Amino acid sequence: MAAVASLPHLDERALVAEAQAGSRAAFEELVRRYDRDVLRLALNLMKRPEDARDVYQEAFLKVYRNLHRFRFECSFYTWLYRIVTNVCLDQLRRRQARPEDQAPELNSAHHEDGITDFFERQREHRATQDPERRLMGGEIRVRIARAMERLSPRERVVFEMKHYQGLKLRAIGDALGTTEETVKNSLFRATRKLRQELGELR
Amino acid sequence: MTPEQQKSGAECREVTGLLVFYVCEEVSDAERRRVETHLRSCEECLQQLAEEEKLAEAVSAMPQTADEVDATGILLSQCRSELAETLDDMSEKVAKPRWEPLGWLRRWMALRPAWSGALLVVFGIAVGTQVVPWLHSVDLEDANGQAMKVMAAPKLSKEQLDNMAVAGVNVLPAADPASATVRLQLSAAQPLEMSGNLEDVGVRRVLTYVVENGQRFDPGVRLDCVDALKAVARDEEVRSALMAAAQKDQVVAVRMKALDALRDSVQEESVREVLIDVLQRDTNPGVRVEAVNLLVRSLGHDSSGAPLSDTLVIVDPANGLENPSVHRAWRALEKLQRQDPSRYVRLRSAAALRQIGPRELQ
Repeated sequence: MAAVASLPHLDERALVAEAQAGSRAAFEELVRRYDRDVLRLALNLMKRPEDARDVYQEAFLKVYRNLHRFRFECSFYTWLYRIVTNVCLDQLRRRQARPEDQAPELNSAHHEDGITDFFERQREHRATQDPERRLMGGEIRVRIARAMERLSPRERVVFEMKHYQGLKLRAIGDALGTTEETVKNSLFRATRKLRQELGELR
Repeated sequence: MTPEQQKSGAECREVTGLLVFYVCEEVSDAERRRVETHLRSCEECLQQLAEEEKLAEAVSAMPQTADEVDATGILLSQCRSELAETLDDMSEKVAKPRWEPLGWLRRWMALRPAWSGALLVVFGIAVGTQVVPWLHSVDLEDANGQAMKVMAAPKLSKEQLDNMAVAGVNVLPAADPASATVRLQLSAAQPLEMSGNLEDVGVRRVLTYVVENGQRFDPGVRLDCVDALKAVARDEEVRSALMAAAQKDQVVAVRMKALDALRDSVQEESVREVLIDVLQRDTNPGVRVEAVNLLVRSLGHDSSGAPLSDTLVIVDPANGLENPSVHRAWRALEKLQRQDPSRYVRLRSAAALRQIGPRELQ
């Protein structure tokens, strides 16, 4: 199969068409092109590696099962992101509904000793020269992490996609299947909640 | 407050609302100019901007889990091999899509977008010039004025509703509001489009669910759903969702819209109770005033539900105040007239009392 041999050079549209025709190799090439971003988003949103792994599996299996329905109305990347964000939102909502199911990293931010293992690790990696500033940075991080927990799943996804994935509001709207205006509202609310939480530190 | 101060207050509010987006470069050129011009002369907003920037800085300094957990890429490799194993297991079952009519055509078109576009244009012209006039002539002959038959929308399960996200609510108006077509773009496990009129149980159930579970959905979506349900507010389930929204929704606009949707049901005892509750407890003066207006309307209906005069309505203490709910409404308005923090609400409730009260009290 000549087409398979040159898969890495095919453009997205051709690859998707090959995969829709049943080529497993084309599908795997699509996975390899985008899965780094998918896992990154899943890790940033879910925090626990095992949850991110579940999101990765579930999202790509959904893509595999539904690829024949993809009609090139948007880019494959946008379609994939829509599926991934929906899977993340579902998981976050389920997690919110079952508090016992929350990530240990996030929960430990509530502990009295304050600084979590997660943030301790940050300190080892990114220790600054000024110990006072370092401590303050740690506190702010705990506060931000805590405030992030207060966001609704959708607000959190929007906030993460804007600030950590660097996506434009329009692209986030496409990924979430909603309007730019709705995304703007979510981002505004998310930022306001974070500011309330961080108010005392200023 | 001088007009200049008022103007500057309004400007500050507008600019403050834009600062979040200004900091992350998501404002239009016109908005950017407006913000920058205002910041030149407003110390407070400048301070606000500094705070927004401080937050953005703190947020961007947050370490990202992805860098920490999988800097080496081991997790990514694990994920890839797990996926490959699962695909191996599935490969026999999903090797072929179930039914793919014209699949070759789709693939051909996917690879040749320009040719496909041209082909579709030619096809469209052919259909438009030949088939449509022919169909039209057939229609005129035997289908005079008959309603089009549409497929009923599916009814979502409780679990689907609980996991559903709403991306869009579109209402295509009709002469009779209850037969307006509602098109819902949802995503539960996967994207789903639902369409039907307001008499359709499936559609109504989704709209009611959104209004009842407001905290899970965006205010814009809630507004659209409340607006759509207005036409069927006489339905008991719909009404109770609207009443809950009027009392509990976090967004003022949604509470206002929910009150408006209840406008034609104000003679119901339960709705009147909600109005009394809203005018006593809502934090927003505009919502309280709307509740006062509707309460006047509510007391202006006779027992059969027919509206009395819009301009002057008399509650006869001998009859009206014997009804405990009318009595409570009266007391609530009296209290509002004396104690409400907003001057406008106090004036409006005093006017309402004059409007509905017996002539001798005027």
